[in-house]
Amino acid sequence: MLGTFIDAFVFPGLLYALVWTVGLFWFFRKFMAPLHKRVGPYFNGPHGSYQTLFDLSKLWTKESITPKGVNSYLFSIMPLLAVVIGLLPAAVVPWTPSGPALSSQYSLLILVVLIGIEPFLFFLTGFGSENKYSFLGGIRVLTQAISFETAFFLAALAPALFFGSLDLSVIVEKSSWGSFLILLPAFAIYFVALLGLLEQPPFNIPDAEQEVVYGFLTEYSGTNYFLLNLSKFVEFMAVFAGAGALYMGAYKGIFFDGYTWFFLKMVAVAVVMITIRAATPRITLNQMLAFSWRWLVPISLINLAWVLLARALFFS
Amino acid sequence: MSKSMEGVAKALESFETEYVENYKPTWFKAKLKSPDEIVAVAEAMKAEGLRTLSTVSPTDWPEEGIMEMNYFFEDLETKRNCWVKCEIPRDPERCEIDSITPVVPSAEWHEREAYSMFGVRFRNHPDLRYLILSPDYYGKFPFRADFDMAAHEKEQLEHVKEIVRDFKAEQEANDAELDPEGSEMVLNWGPTHPASGPIRLKVRCDGEDILGVDPEIGYVWRALENLVTRKDFVGAIVAVERLCFMDNINSMTGYCMAVEEIAGVEITPFAKWMRTLLGEIARISSHMMGTGNFYNTMGLHTIMLWNLDVREYFLDVLESYSGARIATAAIEPGGVRYPLDMKLMDELQRALDKFDATIGDIETVFAKNPTMRHRARKIGKISAQEAIDWGLSGPVLRASGVRSDVRLDEPYAAYDQVEMDYVTVPGGTAADRFQTIFEELKQSVKIIKQAKKRIEEGVASGEFDPSKDHMVKVPKKLPAGEAVSRVEWARGEVLMHLVTKEKAKSPYRLKMRAPSFNHTMVLDRLLRGKTLSDIPLVFGSMYVCQGDLDR
Amino acid sequence: MIKILDFFDYARSESLWMAHFCTGCCSLEMAAAMGPRYDWERYGYMPTPTPRQADVLMITGLVSKKILPALLRTYAQMPEPKYVMALGACSYDGGPYNDSLSVIKNPTEILPADVFVAGCPPKPEAIIEGLETIKQKIKNKEPSAASQGGLWKEMEF
Repeated sequence: MLGTFIDAFVFPGLLYALVWTVGLFWFFRKFMAPLHKRVGPYFNGPHGSYQTLFDLSKLWTKESITPKGVNSYLFSIMPLLAVVIGLLPAAVVPWTPSGPALSSQYSLLILVVLIGIEPFLFFLTGFGSENKYSFLGGIRVLTQAISFETAFFLAALAPALFFGSLDLSVIVEKSSWGSFLILLPAFAIYFVALLGLLEQPPFNIPDAEQEVVYGFLTEYSGTNYFLLNLSKFVEFMAVFAGAGALYMGAYKGIFFDGYTWFFLKMVAVAVVMITIRAATPRITLNQMLAFSWRWLVPISLINLAWVLLARALFFS
Repeated sequence: MSKSMEGVAKALESFETEYVENYKPTWFKAKLKSPDEIVAVAEAMKAEGLRTLSTVSPTDWPEEGIMEMNYFFEDLETKRNCWVKCEIPRDPERCEIDSITPVVPSAEWHEREAYSMFGVRFRNHPDLRYLILSPDYYGKFPFRADFDMAAHEKEQLEHVKEIVRDFKAEQEANDAELDPEGSEMVLNWGPTHPASGPIRLKVRCDGEDILGVDPEIGYVWRALENLVTRKDFVGAIVAVERLCFMDNINSMTGYCMAVEEIAGVEITPFAKWMRTLLGEIARISSHMMGTGNFYNTMGLHTIMLWNLDVREYFLDVLESYSGARIATAAIEPGGVRYPLDMKLMDELQRALDKFDATIGDIETVFAKNPTMRHRARKIGKISAQEAIDWGLSGPVLRASGVRSDVRLDEPYAAYDQVEMDYVTVPGGTAADRFQTIFEELKQSVKIIKQAKKRIEEGVASGEFDPSKDHMVKVPKKLPAGEAVSRVEWARGEVLMHLVTKEKAKSPYRLKMRAPSFNHTMVLDRLLRGKTLSDIPLVFGSMYVCQGDLDR
Repeated sequence: MIKILDFFDYARSESLWMAHFCTGCCSLEMAAAMGPRYDWERYGYMPTPTPRQADVLMITGLVSKKILPALLRTYAQMPEPKYVMALGACSYDGGPYNDSLSVIKNPTEILPADVFVAGCPPKPEAIIEGLETIKQKIKNKEPSAASQGGLWKEMEF
């Protein structure tokens, strides 16, 4: 009973997600700043580390505006739903050697499906905002999600095929340096698809400030915006955790196993992501579609063939 | 260059003129007897190669009861220009003239502006609506000499209500016109938009596809041309430099040249070199923002911040010289405002060192960025012919491969002694425009180095006296006269048309032709049939500043 | 309980986000304040793309008649509590455009500002100082000026 409670609200549940959100938000800003030749948050707390705590607390207590003419049910329920759906994948990820909070034979499936649902919720937020830019942003989220989820699923399928299991714990246990090398192409595809799913440059098309203001987030303020922000950062966590568990052996490390290693691996993914963000301009919707369907999906299919071949060659 | 100035004179021969004179080496000035011939003149000019109309500038003379129309025709390729005047009655009922837009497309918005400000009706104009004005001025023609500003300004809040009513009526008309079940809509791209600045593009689109763009401008209209008539000749530079703050030095230079021409004053070589030096510093500070902004439109802010880092050093130089980072007011009729302290050269050297240390990085990471090139090479294509017909200028024109630069075509300040060449890039796409601006950055630094060396040598040899030579006296009262001056501003050609009355203390009429006007005019042609993602990029690549768009 | 509320007030004062809206030339110096030399993010300031998430509206210089309704609409779209900061001479009395025929001479009578920053345009340091003053105002629990009065309440926009 107490264990379940701790799982749900402390680790890997709500509190963990909140700490992660505050930390990652700060890390994004602080790491981005030197690439911009700036300092970043500095005066609040050591190296500005309280800054994002203040930012998010402020959002939480500000007025939440529900604009005139919107479907207020859809407008208000979606942010909450997005957070809940975003939090669920954490339950099936094997954060520590003692296994996930919720063991399941199909944990990989649960992970990718829950990640895959998120963009549809964002689409509905845009759809319910009664704003032309939100609507365009919503449509863009949907278009982009459909384009990248295929590649994302196929890339996530590669480890499952290789290890013959849909259970993340089994995948992590069986992983080794050899499997890491064989799954490297799948990891690369996963990473590109991750950029698309998480709307990061060069695929930050749905919330392209200069084109559609803030996409589906345009009308959101106060607590609702806080929730949507939270759900986005939690989604980051789930997707990074997926990368860590599927390809990089999760908690496994040198000298000792533990959550620290998992954390470092997720941060490594974040670092690469932010560096790309600081040096790549956005591409257009058409270019994104062409890239995804002409290149990424065919390559991920070929990759599956490679994984099966490698398994037959080296591990049978 | 087969075509010569004689050709222009010959083209004018067949019309009845009061006079035709050689105004400047590259300018003819002629006055038509009858305003009805203006379209025929435009056709003749076009046949001769003067295909661009720089601007239309009416001058209101209430005592004589006439509205004097000034047309400035330009040939951007062969450095030949012609200034055509004619007179029409100023009585609002009869204040009419034939539109030359069907012959010279670049006149379109300039005629609309003349209509809005002076009430000159252009017959056969394809789209004669009010431009720039806010709705409370509709039908009032604020630049006419008999416009009563004090009476109009009494009911300021009433005017705001009128503006709101007008806006709401427009939105309702849109809603009524569009099919509620369809996917067509009208987007207001600006003024509250992260990338627009104070301009509103009414984008009619079907989902992501653009069906048409109608720019609504005038959100930073300060009526500068009207404002200067209430200031003295020196005070007017405050208004002139606010044409656009990004490059304020060169616009002041243009205005001061016009004043000096009427006053008959020749400035010292030292002041000329200083104008060149400061002008190029301002150009760099503008181009830094321009290249940064180009990438901002694609969601990448890094280059903007790197550029701002370098730009600060150049602003330091301006601040040390004039006391202000941006609003320098450093150029004055008669020379430059302040004597030069040679310590400024050390500061300038610091800025140049910083530039040299950074520009390589910016070039490798951003100027050659494959993603940008992949995207920007496909959109916003302008051929050389189109660019000339639409009256584009500056880096945007040169990106289409046209060799045109006022600094070389009609040298002013000390540009006749500077070693430089046209920076042209063939292609005319958004990527080429970025490339041009980027190359001009390097060119400006080269010019600054030359100017710096020349000033240092001149001071060392005693040729220049930096504490005295900066200024020659210009009388406070000017004779009656009229002058046209052109400068190469950061964004393109600025033409100043200054009119003074006898013993005038302030300008009677100042027309500022600013490049962003034409650059915004062509947005519809460039964006039609493209997608929403292309709006910010094309808009950013046209290097538009709302300040000089509205004036 | 009071301690917790105090924390949220403190958080609010330390995290000011700006609505991205430029009405005039001072936005150029705002860009410089974001830049590497002045870097206002050190203090936690951040521009947001939409007014819905902003705490501070900046009147960047002159306000023309045509843009005033858009400015007021932007202000109205911001969530409470919200503050207004007026940059430059123009937003005080029209500045160099005082006798221009299209510029509002008293924008802050219409939309009262909490802080004026002097200059034409104000230097980036001054802009940051102005924002720090707003922070102090929030810490002192002073109500925002625009909520106390101003012609905007009677106007339609």
